[in-house]
Parts: sequence; C-alpha cells; structure tokens
Amino acid sequence: MSTVTLTIDGRTVTVPKGTTVYHAARQLGIEIPVFCYHDRMPPLGACRMCFVQVEKMPRLQTSCTLEAQEGMVVWTESAEVVEARRAILEFLLINHPLDCPICDKGGECPLQDNTFKYGPGASRFVEPKRHFPKAIRLSPVLTLDRERCILCWRCTRFGEVVAGDHALKGHDRGYRTHIDTPPVTLERPSKFIGNTIAICPVGALTSAVYRFRARPWDNRPTPGVCTHCGVGCATWVDARGGEVVRVRAREKPEVNDIWLCDLGFFGYDYTNHPERLKVPYVREGGVLREATWDEALERVARALVRAAPRVGALGGERLTVEEAYLLGRLFRSLGSNHLDARADSRFAPSPRDWAWGAGPFEALDTAPGVFLVGCDLSEDYPVLWLRLKRALDRGAVGLAVAPKRLEVDGYLRCAVVHGYGGEADVLYAVARLVAERKGSVPGLLREVDVDASCRRAGVPREAVEYLAQCLVAAGPVLFAVGRLSWDGPEPERTLAAVQTLRAVSGGDLWLLRGKGNAVGAVLAGLAPDTLPGLVPLEDPGARERLRRLWGFEPPQAPGLGTPAMLEAAAAGELRVLYVAGADPARDFPDGSLWQRARAGLELLVVTELFWTETARQADVVLPALSSFERPGTVVNLEGRPQRIAPSRMGPPGARADGDILQLLGERLGRPVDYGSVEAVWEELRRAAPGLELDRPYPFNRPQPEVDVRPARPLEAEEGLVVVPASPLFRKGEMSARCRGLPDLAGSPVVGVHAQDAAALGLMDGAEVEVDVGATSARVRVAVTDAVLPGHLLVPVGFPEFPRARWAASGRLLRAHLRVLEPVGRESR
Amino acid sequence: MGGAVRNRNGWQRVVVEGAAILKGMAVTLRHLFRPPVTVQYPEERPRIAGRFKGRHWLTLYADGTERCVGCELCVIVCPSQAIYVKAAENTPDHRVSRGERYAEDFQINMLRCIFCGFCEEACPTGAIVLGRDFELADYRREALIYTKSMLQEPYPGASGRDPNREV
Ligand code: SF4
Ligand code: SF4
Ligand code: SF4
Ligand code: SF4
Ligand code: FES
Repeated sequence: MSTVTLTIDGRTVTVPKGTTVYHAARQLGIEIPVFCYHDRMPPLGACRMCFVQVEKMPRLQTSCTLEAQEGMVVWTESAEVVEARRAILEFLLINHPLDCPICDKGGECPLQDNTFKYGPGASRFVEPKRHFPKAIRLSPVLTLDRERCILCWRCTRFGEVVAGDHALKGHDRGYRTHIDTPPVTLERPSKFIGNTIAICPVGALTSAVYRFRARPWDNRPTPGVCTHCGVGCATWVDARGGEVVRVRAREKPEVNDIWLCDLGFFGYDYTNHPERLKVPYVREGGVLREATWDEALERVARALVRAAPRVGALGGERLTVEEAYLLGRLFRSLGSNHLDARADSRFAPSPRDWAWGAGPFEALDTAPGVFLVGCDLSEDYPVLWLRLKRALDRGAVGLAVAPKRLEVDGYLRCAVVHGYGGEADVLYAVARLVAERKGSVPGLLREVDVDASCRRAGVPREAVEYLAQCLVAAGPVLFAVGRLSWDGPEPERTLAAVQTLRAVSGGDLWLLRGKGNAVGAVLAGLAPDTLPGLVPLEDPGARERLRRLWGFEPPQAPGLGTPAMLEAAAAGELRVLYVAGADPARDFPDGSLWQRARAGLELLVVTELFWTETARQADVVLPALSSFERPGTVVNLEGRPQRIAPSRMGPPGARADGDILQLLGERLGRPVDYGSVEAVWEELRRAAPGLELDRPYPFNRPQPEVDVRPARPLEAEEGLVVVPASPLFRKGEMSARCRGLPDLAGSPVVGVHAQDAAALGLMDGAEVEVDVGATSARVRVAVTDAVLPGHLLVPVGFPEFPRARWAASGRLLRAHLRVLEPVGRESR
Repeated sequence: MGGAVRNRNGWQRVVVEGAAILKGMAVTLRHLFRPPVTVQYPEERPRIAGRFKGRHWLTLYADGTERCVGCELCVIVCPSQAIYVKAAENTPDHRVSRGERYAEDFQINMLRCIFCGFCEEACPTGAIVLGRDFELADYRREALIYTKSMLQEPYPGASGRDPNREV
C-alpha cells in the first residue's frame, strides 16, 4: 500500500494514502475537535469545527474531509485556527438555548466540552433566539429538542448509511432547518433509533426512557451483554442507587461494533419492575402460596429424589452458561439426560448435527454474499443486519427466500417471497438451476422438477431463475437459516434443501435461532444426546473426562428433547420437570401437548422473574435473578462467551439460578462447592473444549450433500394460511414491563394481500376477528404485499395471539377472518 | 542571624528572651481589662456575620414555583457529597418548576455538609442558598438528613432571597 508522509504541528507522520488529515493527526495523538464527523460514516464537512491550517492552501481546511498529501504541512493550533474554532462555536451557539441544567446531555455533551475548551466564553449575539417547540416525542423512546440541534446530520446519515431505515430526515431550509421523521410515516418504528441518541453530539436527541433519571456522575457503569436476542451485543449498564437507568453500547468490533438495537437500548426496566417475584411459592390444595426457601427447596429435592431418573429440565436462554452447566450436571447426577435448552421449538434435531449457532460474525465482512433462508434478520437479530448492510454496501450480494417480504428486501439483490412452507421447493429448484448453469446436475437433483416446485411454492419461475443466476454470479455465499424456516412446517426438508444447494453452490452455513444464552446452554450440555461441548453422549473420551471432573459418569441412555419430554410427561413417564427461565406454556408451539404434559407431571418447578404462564401453572415457583443482577458468562450465536458483571442487587428474596442449583445439590446429597463463578467457568472450559472467553466456538457443520426429499402432498383447506412472524418489538413478559417498548410494539396488526382483502371486502385499517386454532382475536388489518395471496401475516409475541393455543391440525395453520368493520376508523 | 542567636552568651539571652516574655504578658494584661467575648448561648444570642453560611434553603419564585430544576450541579460540585437529587419531568397539570425538569427528591445530609457554599455558587438558578441558621442539632442521625420538604422555604422570600429576582 502506498503511503504519504506529512507534517502536523511540526511532527512528521506516515499514513496510508487516502487517510484524512484528521486521522493522521489522531495517529499522532493530536486532538482536533469535531461535530459532524463520525468515524463509522464517511466524512461530510458540515460543521466546520475541525478546521486546520495547511501551508500553501489559501483558506482553512476541514481536516475531516481533507485527504493527506505527500509533504503537507499542517497546523492545528495556529492563531488562525484557534480564532476560527472560537468563531464556529460562537456561531453554533447563536440559537442554542444553553439550557444545560435541564438537558439530559449535560455532563457528557461534546458541545459543552468543546465550548469549554475552544469556545469564546461570551457571545455577541444579544438578539432573541430562534424558538421551536421543546421536547417533542418523536417516538415512544425518542425525544427531540430542535433548539439544541446543531445540524451535524449524524442522525440522518446514520439512517442512510448505517441502518438503512431512513428514520430521521432534515426538513425545511436555512434558519428553519430542523430534524423530523420523514413526511411519509414509516410502516414500523425504527429499530435503531437508540444509536442516533448515542451519536448526537448535543442534547437534541435524547432517550424518553432515561429522561431525567440520572446524570452521568450518578451512574455506576458495569459491563454487560444484551440477552434479548442471540447476537450478544456488548453493553454498559448504568445503574443509579440500585436501579438500572440506562443501557449503552460497549465497543466490540467483532460483535456489535458500537451499535445496539432499540430492544437492547430500552429493554432494561423489567429488571427494576415492582412485579418481580420476591418469594418462593408452593402449590398447596390447588393454590400457590408463599413459602420459605427451605420449604420450597425441600419439596423440589424430595420430588426429584423420588422420581429420579424420570426427571427433566427445560430452558437456558435466561441462564448464564455456568448455570446451564450446573443444571445439566445436577440432572445427570440424578441419572437423567432429559435436558433441552430449546424450549420453544417443536423441531429439536440433535445438536450434534444441527446445533443452533453461527460462524464468526466477522465472516460477513469478507463473504461474497449472504443467502437468507427464512431469516428475518432485522427482526430477529437486528445488529447483525447492520453488519450485513455494511457487507452489502461493500458489494456483497444479498439473496433471500422467505414466506414474507423482509423489511430489508430493498437492499437485497434478489428476494423471493413464497407460499408458507415452500422454501424447500424454492431451494431445490434453485439448486437444480444452479447445477444446470454450472453444467453438471447430480443424479438425485434430476428428480427436481423446477416448474412443479415453483408452482407448489407459489413463485414465478423467472424469480427462481434470477435467484439462481445471482447465486452463481456471487459464488459461495453464506447461508443463514432463520426462525421462519425452523418454525415452518417442514424444517427437516428445508435443511436438506439448504444442504443440497450448498453442495452445488458452496458456502458456509449459519443456523440462526435462539435468544440470550440459548446457544451457550446447549454448548454447556443442556441437550438430550450431547455432553458439554456438543460431544456425542457415548463418546468415551468425553465420558472419562466428565467422570474425572464430576466423580460420576453421565447416564448412558440418551435423553428426550423438548417435544419428546412433553410427550413422556403427558404419558406419565416423566414425573418432575424443572423449567429454568423458559415459558413453554406460552412459547411451545403445541399448547395442547403442553397442557397434557402439565397434567401428567407430579411436580413442575419454575425459576422465574415474573408470573409467566408457566409459573402460574407450576407447583413450585422460585424467584430468580435477571441478567443484570449476577456475574457470569453469556454465550451468543457465535458461541462466543462474554463476561457480565452484576449492575444491581436483585429483589431481596430472589436468588441466582446458579445458587438455587447449588442449594438443591446440597439437599440432594450431591454438594458441589465452587466458591465462585470463575471456578464453574474453569470446570466448564475443561468439560467443553473449544469454549474460550471471547472466542467464537468452532462449530462443526455437516458437509453439504445432495439430499432430495419428496414434498408432502398439498392439502386443500379453507381459510388463509397463517405466516407467524415474530417482530422485534413484542409484548412478552419482559418487554411489556419496559418503559417505551410496549408502545413501540403497538397493537398487533395482521397483514392480508390486496387480492384477499378485495375478496373479503376489506380496506386498510379494517377491524376483523381472526380465528386461529382455538383462539380468536379482534385486530386491525393492513393490506400488504408482504405475503402471497391466500396468506395471513400474524405477529406472534402478543397476548392477542397466544401461539401455544394454535393447535395445528394439518400441515399448515389456517386462519378465518370475520369482518367487523370493513373500513378503518382512522385512515393511517 | 541564626548564627548570631547561637553565638549569644548567657546574659544576652536573658535580656532578649525576657523581653519577648514581657511582650506576651503585656497582651494578656491588656485583655484582662476588656469586656469578655464569650456569649452565654443559648440564653444570649450570638451575633452572626453578614456572610455567615448556615443551613440551606431551596427558594421559590414569587408565584410559588420552585427555582430548582433538578440539574444536579450542586450534587457534583459538593466536596463532601452531601446532596442527593432525583429529577423528574414537569407535566402541564403538574408544573413544579420552570422549564421541563424539577427535583422530585432533594436531600442534604447535614452531618456531611461542611458549609462551604459551593452548592450555592454552582446553582444556575439561584435555587439553593445557605441561610443563617446554625442550630442543627438532633438526637438521631437520620433527622439530620434534610428532605425536600424541610429544605423548601415555607413561603416565597422566607429565606431572605428576593422572590422576584430572576436568578
Ligand atoms: S439531532 Fe443531533 S445528530 Fe441530528 S443533526 Fe441535530 S445535532 Fe446532529
Ligand atoms: S441486536 Fe440483539 S443482542 Fe443486540 S442489542 Fe438488539 S436485542 Fe440485544
Ligand atoms: S455547603 Fe458545601 S458541603 Fe454543604 S452541601 Fe453545599 S457544597 Fe456540599
Ligand atoms: S439546587 Fe440548583 S444546582 Fe442544585 S439541582 Fe437545583 S437547580 Fe441544580
Ligand atoms: S467535523 Fe469536519 S466539518 Fe464537521
């Protein structure tokens, strides 16, 4: 790479060609004040704060936009520069309200700091200032004070360059210029608005959730990891007086860079919520009553001893990886391998073949492209979308097949929306076409009839041909299979189709599923047929290793996965179920199976933060701590363990899951005293080789192979096919208890295609009654092209749509609409 | 000079040091015939200097709104970390101060305060003033954590600050 050498303030520095003077100065440790420039976005040159003097150049230059040239002589502190900075600041402050005492940015405001350091001290502007209405709520979480805005355009450019959602725009001209949401209201709220708050250099954009709750000097920051989804974004958690008041992004280039999504930014108030469980409860005479820890634990211990080994454990998302490990160890000491962290899925393949998880996220930075298979990236793993967006901007090819239009479709080269459950057909057709283009069609693939597959999937052949063409041009792209496919009617066939496609086109495979520590829990051993580290249960080396660490060998017989466990419970073969931080009563897709399982259980134990549906049905409820309240390690989708520190004390009376398990171990006569979380971690590291702090886990993916499976015959049935989509903003037990988030989620709206709307006589905004399975809800309708005709887009995660009570009779779930009000009361 | 002291002989020392003692005694003697400065507190009230700093008041504007906007500048400037402020937002039907923000909770730990007056100096609205009351004794420590209701002046101007003054 060619370099240039220049002199800044009398010191020479050599930088790669193309570096700006601002960065060259930074390399020398020389600080140049900036407002508009942000190193995650290209320079703009709007604020003029970064002036420097360059010899042989007539005027002062903005160092953020000026490319360093060979032999340049730059001065950053000359009298002219100092004077110019003073003038710029005086100018910026002309209309600035200077209401620092009531401004939430006070104490951490670049405008304050720069004015203090470089400003004039007094203003010559005595005329009345320009006024705007103050404290405008732009969204349930965002407050805008236009008077304070210095028009640096960071926020608007974030929406253009980084997030791609164009959530904020500049309006009007000159003196009246201001920031606002775009004139055409967005279909849905931005998912990344918290980042604009973080990068706004003044108090113009502030958090409506954090508003006035603390000053920076009140806050005690502790490093945390967001557990709302599986990305595992690094955070700073600011606590004041035992209350978590704010969450900020912690710089971690490999994971979240400097960003968070709004669920991470604003999803913390649940931990401070007064409805947190504070005492154990036990069921007596059919009702749950308060109990002491002794009593509750004794009851659990006795039931476990009596029923062992016919006991099982579910959950792990909310646990730390250490706690998941302790849970697995305790149940294995009882002779049971009935362990599963994947409590919300009917599809529970063996993690030896199909372990949820992704390769290193950094692979996106170099991949030639990404193929999203039923993966609603921006809804499920929002910050991963920011990384993908960066890759797409660099020229990577984005492809997708999904049963609904993805929010980010506009950025992808080719996105195919198919009928629900049709992804395997589309993928087989693509595989066949790709193989044809490459000139050799493997024998098995010849069975695939492209036209018939397209017809089944409801997709025009041209779309699939174009998809194949793009895929061939892109090369070995990264396949990311998401939740829409995992939850689809034929996940096995979809995975086989992905494998087939990989076999002809090449490319890595990511299986994106699971929140919080779900991937870590499986890695720590919460799976029926693998030991810690995804080692097969019968592996003699691993068994020996565990025997030495534990003093006993894990039981021989493979355990049951979630669905099988529930079947066994329903049949009375599984007596005790221990649910740690999961809500299968609400999240397990087959509610009637859950109900039968619950009825068949002798004892259901739940450790929880709130009265979830599962907790209400339990026999013993143990109050647990949230991820803000205990130390430990959390593993994200990459299998990357990251440490968290407690930022507040939990409610008195609640205990960490790890402590509960240790106490239970003592009562069961299997005491293990670890002394500290680190000790558990060390043992886990030895039990599960490959798990290293801050390193992605080396997942072994099955080799691609052509595996063509026949499609099931289509069923002719009445009603619209339900496409269950899980939006980022839901009304779950936790997010419903966070200020701002329920309002972001709003009321659920179902989407129907214009054709169906016309047939039903519906207009956008109409009110309908939707019957799905045994449930019925009154909701509004959006007429949309997000799904194909004959489909109904239903948001899950809202109390109106309890997925657990949608018993699927056939392959596909059907919904029936009854029109209550064909025209929307207020047009949107 | 030091050398000179060390080199003095016995008689010279008697004269020089004796003179110093007599000088000191003369001051004592003079004060023996002056009236005493001791005040028979509490029967007698002490005279308090004009710029004495005593217990704090949170002052009000003439219309009764609070001056304090809960900015917490007094909190950060206080060298003994005696102040706790928790801010909240004014609403149209619950307007406590001018502007958007007010102090929902305001506490000063009088046991910690060293009456330096920094808080008064830092306050951008002139809300917090140190008054002249120094009689801050109590039987319990908790009683010396002054709450907002104790700190607020009972009526605008009660603390002596002109309620019509802007800042
Ligand atoms: S709102 Fe903030 S980030 Fe946006 S232009 Fe104004 S000052 Fe810049
Ligand atoms: S992307 Fe996921 S991990 Fe990151 S902040 Fe959002 S919810 Fe949290
Ligand atoms: S007078 Fe000084 S020590 Fe006392 S509260 Fe004010 S700043 Fe703190
Ligand atoms: S007393 Fe003054 S400095 Fe203290 S919070 Fe109130 S306005 Fe701010
Ligand atoms: S930082 Fe260079 S012009 Fe704004």
